[in-house]
Amino acid sequence: MMNHQVTKAPSSGKLSLLLGVLLSWWLILGASAAPPREVIANALVAEDVAEQAKLVGSLAGQADPLIPQLLAKWKESEIYIYEPTEPAGPKVAVLFVGEKDADDKFAAVRVDTGEPLKDKDGKPMRLTTDEATSADTDANLRLAMKVVLDLIAVADPDPAKRLKVVQQMGLDQDLEKLPALEVRVAGEPDAKVQRALKEAIALLQLKSEDPAKQIAAAKTLATLGSIPAQDALKTVAREGSPPVAAAANAALAEIAKHLQLVNTYGTVFRGLSLGSVLLVIAIGLAITFGLMGVINMAHGELIAVGAYTTYMVQNVFGPGLALSPFGMKLHLPGFGATGAAYDAYFIAALPLSFLMAALVGLVLERGIIQFLYRRPLESLLATWGVSLVMQQLLRLTFGANNVQVDSPAWLSGNWTFFDVIFGWNRVFVIGFAIAIIVGTHLLLTKTHLGLLIRAVMQNRQMAACMGVPTERVNMLTFAFGSGLAGLAGAFLSQLGNVGPGMGQDHIVGAFMTVVVGGVGSIFGTVISALGIGVVDQSFQQILGNPVLGKILVLGGIILFLQWKPAGLFVTKSRSLEG
Amino acid sequence: MKLRKFVALTSLAAAGLILPATASAADTVKVGVLHSLSGTMAISETSLRDVLLFTFDEINAKGGVMGKKIEPVVVDGASNWPLFAEKAKQLLEQDKCAVVFGCWTSVSRKSVLPVFEKNNGLLFYPVQYEGEEESQNVFYTAEAVNQQATPAVDYYLNAGKKKFYLLGSDYVYPQTTNLVLLEYLLSKGVPIENIGGGFKKDESGKIISAGKYTPFGHTDYQQIVSEIKQFAAGGKACVISTLNGDTNVPFFKEYAASGLTAETCPVVSFSISEDEFRGLPAKQLVGQLGCWTYFQSIKSKANTKFITDFKAWLKKSDVTGIVKDGRVTCSPMVLSYDGVYLWKAAVEKAKSFEVDAVRKELQGGLSFDGPGGKVTTQKNMHLTKNVYIGETKADGQFKILKTFDGVVGEPWLKGKFKAK
Repeated sequence: MMNHQVTKAPSSGKLSLLLGVLLSWWLILGASAAPPREVIANALVAEDVAEQAKLVGSLAGQADPLIPQLLAKWKESEIYIYEPTEPAGPKVAVLFVGEKDADDKFAAVRVDTGEPLKDKDGKPMRLTTDEATSADTDANLRLAMKVVLDLIAVADPDPAKRLKVVQQMGLDQDLEKLPALEVRVAGEPDAKVQRALKEAIALLQLKSEDPAKQIAAAKTLATLGSIPAQDALKTVAREGSPPVAAAANAALAEIAKHLQLVNTYGTVFRGLSLGSVLLVIAIGLAITFGLMGVINMAHGELIAVGAYTTYMVQNVFGPGLALSPFGMKLHLPGFGATGAAYDAYFIAALPLSFLMAALVGLVLERGIIQFLYRRPLESLLATWGVSLVMQQLLRLTFGANNVQVDSPAWLSGNWTFFDVIFGWNRVFVIGFAIAIIVGTHLLLTKTHLGLLIRAVMQNRQMAACMGVPTERVNMLTFAFGSGLAGLAGAFLSQLGNVGPGMGQDHIVGAFMTVVVGGVGSIFGTVISALGIGVVDQSFQQILGNPVLGKILVLGGIILFLQWKPAGLFVTKSRSLEG
Repeated sequence: MKLRKFVALTSLAAAGLILPATASAADTVKVGVLHSLSGTMAISETSLRDVLLFTFDEINAKGGVMGKKIEPVVVDGASNWPLFAEKAKQLLEQDKCAVVFGCWTSVSRKSVLPVFEKNNGLLFYPVQYEGEEESQNVFYTAEAVNQQATPAVDYYLNAGKKKFYLLGSDYVYPQTTNLVLLEYLLSKGVPIENIGGGFKKDESGKIISAGKYTPFGHTDYQQIVSEIKQFAAGGKACVISTLNGDTNVPFFKEYAASGLTAETCPVVSFSISEDEFRGLPAKQLVGQLGCWTYFQSIKSKANTKFITDFKAWLKKSDVTGIVKDGRVTCSPMVLSYDGVYLWKAAVEKAKSFEVDAVRKELQGGLSFDGPGGKVTTQKNMHLTKNVYIGETKADGQFKILKTFDGVVGEPWLKGKFKAK
């Protein structure tokens, strides 16, 4: 490779010939011991994808700390390929270092030597990102990189990384790696990695020639309840000798039992998290509809307001946002934050979505709903109209397409205990729901405003006689319920679509939850949300069919309301007094 | 008496209708555009209207079709399937359009099909579909299942994948595609226990549905993702997704959160093109695969010209409400564009706008060098074209990983692949 490049380079006379010969010698002698950074540099400029993967693969087994650094940079397209034009020369892989200067130029460092890139006069060069193309990768190349990085990572100080590597090695079932794993198992301090090592060793031993070892391995896998081992065990059960196959089948039965338990716990967790999502969506409605008796069809759009606020906050933290509401050109400048600072946008977005939705709710209450407190049908029609207007406003401001909301890194990951996935976003929503419920409960029972709210909801005339400013209490209560809808929107942006029509997707679920729980009872809403969540997930798990599961849940709710039309918890409230 | 009066009136009215039409027919030819410009499908279909109007302008600027300028008749199907049929009737019977370009969803196509067959009209249909149909009145520039789904499976098999999880939205296209894929996978020697998502059988034990389906607007993918994670735990697994536009967001967010990645268990999606990508969370999708007969990132002269011309046209376009910024090009758009040029070529070769004459030329095999490479018409009213597998990048474009050249469009695939 290198030899080829040198002879292609413009050269004159003997000197270059000598150089060429010397280099080829050096290549032949030292090819196997070529420093990793040179191998990577060669791979970077190689034309053929397969050649790239081969070169990277040749690094396997080396532990140079430079390797992970350079490969990580390559993966993120932070390495650039520069093709000198005057004089034309072979491609060079370079890294950009330092800050860019006034001309948008960076100092360039050669990947193969680690020294600055020099021009024909030997002066260090500075380049813009446009003068070089960034090196990219494909899946095969990344796989080759992974193999190299794996071997380095087995000895990685970070247990999480070790764990991943060990698991992958087990799945690969490459018997040659067995000694390396057995060496590690003795000295491994981390319990999880220890378990993974045992699993991996057993998986490798399934491939062994010795039936006794295979049977022992199958037994180990059974006691470990190893889900990944199922495929390998099935193969052994099919192809192994009768005693081995019997052991494999026994192990499979054991794992199936374990799996059933995992799925049961998993279903409960998923049900609770789905219930929490429903609860977060419905809690605002439980106040405006449940306590105040306003049938607010625009509740979904208040959720959308919260979601779009999150979108705006995200863009203000990031690159800024250009909007064109009603043909006006509006530009929100951005901080251009990255990494953890950018991820913090969600923290800022939560209170802002609450405030924004509360504000919209306030305007809605003052503008329309205050005139309709005793006329539920008209308030239904009027708020439905409002919801259409708000959807169109969102469409005109943000466009008809859905918008992208990124999940912060700390919401996009998971803990896995006992093979059950606890997604951070799901754990967060459960915590979030608890916080909202506790907050709402405290507000209603422990504060002065809460006392007034309860008084007005129970008997408006009486409260007014006692000097309670019912108008103001109504206004604040409605704004509070709307704000909770906004919070729900902020959270939903982490789970699903943010678009002008998103409110419509959630309004039915919200009303359903409140009605099943019993209009007017916050506690009922909590129970009904969690109940619907767990039942829905259980049906999905048992039937293996989300469509059928949904239908059954809805059918069940219809029957339930036939039996108990007022919901789970019947509360006396104004709306029922008529 | 009454009857005679009625006849007289109607013939008068008919004459009144026909006369102006014949007067203008001398220098223009009417061409129908039948897409949803409102309702749920508007987001996708409006782009096709835009690209069609652009193509007509491009052709008109060069002298039109057989010396006649194209006069577009744009109607709105409003994402309402019965309305599609009514509008098709209007285009054929009232406006006497020589050809119609339109439809996106399979159900809209099925709805207009009888109208086109009754009036012997000609419809060019540009969006990937499930096959099992071959009307003499529809020309399918669309990807057939073997121009999208089976090449993707080939790619996966080549990459050493052994387990396949089928997932889709619950309607005709994913259901049919997955049944064909099931047969295809079995014919490639993939054992049935390595195909995930579940099966539904009828009384005789015949599989009538393969894979996992979710309703439109489904938001909770926890259970499915955890099932995929268990399915993929043993390695060498992949997901084949025919999930529809919107539902991809909750699915991919959940997928990323559960720790599944493109490296451990890649997902190939047949319904996400550059256009849909604009509303999806880019970070979560990077590295996942797409498979189409065109990508905006194709490097060719024809494609560069198409993109620059289309963007220039958008800039000066005065169509009301047209979106001018941040536009991308995608496969259905290019197949619409190809369709117009193929129709033009057929008309010019037949020297007639008559549907029968045009169809004869189309079935004879015409070629056009489109932005996605060369396309050739076939006897069965489908197209031979290149198929590309691409990997999604953070900027919403695809990096092309593999190209299958000149794949013949084959609508009848059920029962074609026999298990070994």
